[in-house]
Amino acid sequence: MQYRSSIGTIALAASLGVTVTFGGALAFDESRYPDWKGAWRRVAVPGVVGQPSYDPTKSGGRAQEAPLTPEYQAIFEANLKDQAQGGQGTDPTYTCLSPGMPRVMTTFAPFEIVVTPQMTNFLIQHIHDSRRIFTDGRDWPKKIVPTFVGYSIGQWIDTDGDGRYDVLEIETRGLKGPRSYDPAGLPLHSDNQSIFRERVYSDKADPDVLYDEITTIDNALTRPWTVTKKYSRVRIKQPEWGEEVCAEGNGDVEIGKEGYFLSGDGHLMPTKKDQARPDLRYFKQIQN
Amino acid sequence: MRYRASIGTIACTAAALCMPAATQAFDDAMYPELTGQWTRATVPGAVGQPPFDPAKPPGRGQRAPLTPEYQAKFERTLADRAASGLGDVVSTSCLAPGMPMMMQAYEPMQITVLPETTYILIDHIHESHRRIFTDGREWPKIVQPTFTGYSIGKWIDEDRDGRYDVLEAETRYFKGPRFFDSSGIPLHEDGESIIRERIYLDKADRNLLHDEITVTDHALTRPWTVMKNYRRTLDPLAEWPEYICNEQIPFIHIGNETYKVSQDGYLMPTRNQQPPPDLRYFNKPKK
Repeated sequence: MQYRSSIGTIALAASLGVTVTFGGALAFDESRYPDWKGAWRRVAVPGVVGQPSYDPTKSGGRAQEAPLTPEYQAIFEANLKDQAQGGQGTDPTYTCLSPGMPRVMTTFAPFEIVVTPQMTNFLIQHIHDSRRIFTDGRDWPKKIVPTFVGYSIGQWIDTDGDGRYDVLEIETRGLKGPRSYDPAGLPLHSDNQSIFRERVYSDKADPDVLYDEITTIDNALTRPWTVTKKYSRVRIKQPEWGEEVCAEGNGDVEIGKEGYFLSGDGHLMPTKKDQARPDLRYFKQIQN
Repeated sequence: MRYRASIGTIACTAAALCMPAATQAFDDAMYPELTGQWTRATVPGAVGQPPFDPAKPPGRGQRAPLTPEYQAKFERTLADRAASGLGDVVSTSCLAPGMPMMMQAYEPMQITVLPETTYILIDHIHESHRRIFTDGREWPKIVQPTFTGYSIGKWIDEDRDGRYDVLEAETRYFKGPRFFDSSGIPLHEDGESIIRERIYLDKADRNLLHDEITVTDHALTRPWTVMKNYRRTLDPLAEWPEYICNEQIPFIHIGNETYKVSQDGYLMPTRNQQPPPDLRYFNKPKK
């Protein structure tokens, strides 16, 4: 895997402009950071229809023109075929698995960004989508327990030298899977060696518009793939923060490697035509 | 329901102690230093799953002041558990524990203090984002009920040294089912609990945090107060685990029945003589 240069190794070299106080905390001068308070939501692109896709400027599925290797293009095609028959293909989130990176940044629900000197939290209440970006100057740990959202180290940049940070650069590693880019099942490599580099910044002309430029380096791709997500701030002083509990009302279940659906009247249903019944070998009497 | 006095309505009666609304610059020296990772303090001698009152044994040992109706409900849960080995719905599903159970902090807890909001983040079963609003707001006219509830807080400078030392929080507007702990002590299904908390650092040990929780609920004969304690992890690079419930809980609820998915990928009964699921929507197997 190429592109292994680490934010962590250069983070300490950059002046964060913070003062270490007792207990290791950093005195917080809010005026040095961009004002990203409030609720942010995904900006829909006119003309793009269907479920939100990974590259928001293009429709989902094949129209994404993801630079997949031939092997992963074949996996993606098989996934599309399965989805066309009613299956879930390589979209793993239907049983409430975390979408993980980079899909969480599609932000299926309004999200909040909480900035402190040590850490920036992206609070996204969807399935299990929230992130911690460590900005305390740490290096990459020797050992990372893999997670769906990965381990993220960030660095604040003052690109225009006006004394105020305007870009948060992030690098994310230490992923687990399965993960897909979007509901169409566009897959990431099963080796989970993905590296994500992001630049998060406000629009210079409109502070209520935020961008996240995401570059994915993954062994399922023939080259790094860069997309830019766009978000707008909700102009409500006290936004309502919903609570989404995936297990509540989720009708999809998985038994072995097969997905089924729970009907409104409380029975197991097939999701595909002629889908086989689940194997009930552990029950003494099979009544139906 | 008694005890309805609202933090919202009294939030700015003590004018000298109240934070004005959101525009004020953040002077973090005014607030207690709660950064880092907090984990539930273990109680010497305590065994098993952590109970709601950490100072008492779990289950009946909690001596929860339940009404007769809810004591009977709790006893049924205990009997069902003894028969099947399963607990209530929280133990076998991935529903959010909600308040007050989430404050057991089964997984590490992050507390982030900003002037408008204090965030309590706990990743256990549900990825809980608890927001305690400290911007002086009133209770909204309409609140969508949640497992976590809607929390309004107020910072207090008790010793008048110019620095806040206690966060008082009041939480309302719940949905359910919710339980005090994993032994299945129930809260009332009407969702009208009111939970008051006092969160503060120990004066002698700044790495010890207390949360005094008082629950007022129609399943109780009187308000129930317990003290939770948390220890700060001294490793600044402590790991934050990701808890994906569906990876941990192998149960499936079909109709009113709970089944288990075996490690080899088959549906299994969870009790003796449990009938298999009704497969009426599947084609009959060919003979």
